[in-house]
Amino acid sequence: MTTKLGRLVALAALGMCGTAHAGWYNDGKVLATGGVITVDGAGGGGITPWATISGYETRDGINGGLHYTWVYLPNYSLNSYGATLGFFDRVELSYTNSTLPTGSTFDTVGLATRLLSSAVTDTGVKPFNTTIKMDVYGVKVRLFGEAIYDSDNLIPQVAIGGFYKNNHNDVLLDTLQAAKNKDWEAYVSVTKIFFPLNTLVNFTGRYTSANETGLTGFGGPDGNHKKFRPEASIAYLLAKNTAIGGEYQKHGKNLEGKSVVLDGVDLTQLTPLLGGTGDALKQHESDWYDLFFAYLPNKNLSFTLAYAMLGNITITPNQSGFYLSMHATF
Amino acid sequence: MTSIRKTISTLGAALGVALAIGAAGAANADDKVATRTEGKTPTWPGISSSALEKFGGEAGVHNWVEALFYYIMLDNRINKIFIEHGNVARQIALNTELEQMVLGGPVKYEGASMSAAHGDLGITLTQFNAVVEAAYNACERVNTPYSVCNQLIAALAPFERVIVTR
Repeated sequence: MTTKLGRLVALAALGMCGTAHAGWYNDGKVLATGGVITVDGAGGGGITPWATISGYETRDGINGGLHYTWVYLPNYSLNSYGATLGFFDRVELSYTNSTLPTGSTFDTVGLATRLLSSAVTDTGVKPFNTTIKMDVYGVKVRLFGEAIYDSDNLIPQVAIGGFYKNNHNDVLLDTLQAAKNKDWEAYVSVTKIFFPLNTLVNFTGRYTSANETGLTGFGGPDGNHKKFRPEASIAYLLAKNTAIGGEYQKHGKNLEGKSVVLDGVDLTQLTPLLGGTGDALKQHESDWYDLFFAYLPNKNLSFTLAYAMLGNITITPNQSGFYLSMHATF
Repeated sequence: MTSIRKTISTLGAALGVALAIGAAGAANADDKVATRTEGKTPTWPGISSSALEKFGGEAGVHNWVEALFYYIMLDNRINKIFIEHGNVARQIALNTELEQMVLGGPVKYEGASMSAAHGDLGITLTQFNAVVEAAYNACERVNTPYSVCNQLIAALAPFERVIVTR
């Protein structure tokens, strides 16, 4: 905990240098044009990073913010907090710490483990209240194009970025059969605002092997193979401080149909023996969708409320629920 | 570990390319849209043909420009620039012509191009954006809907390339 706070403070301190140094600090972007914060901590929509650089700085300085996001799903909740810094509307650095209590999802596995404790070693699953924690470090660089001002051409703003994700429940990820618990992802985002239509459009290609954005690890029993997965956001600007829209994020099938592994024994083979409950232990992963409402009353605070439709997550179906994100910018 | 190093060096190279492109993207005289003094702004997609009418025609645009300068003159970040460089009443008259022009109105704009008028002022993007904020405030002041206001924002946005020189 202290090290995580340390990282946050270090990022914030970096930003404070800008505040102290009047020449570096800048909050000259037009309201809302920095976007909001994704679950991975990068500037963008709710799940898809945009080519915009987070923070209200223009090319004249530095700006940044702190964020907190809460997702409430039937079997899980996600708490994530972190910080972003934008440098000269060119480079964005971000850090996010995600905590995912898995509720009762893995209690069956946890109880089974406890009952078999003489035969089975640690699965990373506790009988109750199993939690997954992940650190996400992000960097984004704006390459070219102008999302806002060049309304007379179709050249979008283009940025590339990357995340380094470190999932700390590596024992549980072994149990779920993920290949790795820490890995990188890279993405390219193209963003354009069409003012005559009051609409922002973003497309992202993410090169990744993540399962549920890395919360259930990277890759599967067949290896850790990265692929480009498409993502998209569309936002309709209702007012200068309000937007509504939707997002889509393609997910992988690394753990599709896989069960849990207890001490080297794949329960996929055992599930027929478990009769009716067998299918219940098989994992599935769905593409993510969301519908969002973002309200940015001023340049220091924004709220995003979304309905997230995340489908199957590990062994639990129909994970749709609410998403609330707050972003304070300084 | 090597994959991380590879990623970092790739990102470093990309940063170099980005900075080079940024430097090359400076305003230039070949910018036909941003240096012009006549005609509707050719945006993608096009500005709605009813935009000027929805703005209230010439009288409505004039009201909007009056409101724009009200907000500009109250904005301590930028008012000095407008006071130092030219007569405000004249700027209001010329802007009333310019705004009708960019929306496709049948009007003769008598002023200088945006590049000629701003080239020597060393305007920053931060200052330009302060005027954009004043433009939205002005739309609210004259009760022009946000979606109509964005037609004008789209029509004026490309001038950023020649107005901002720092």
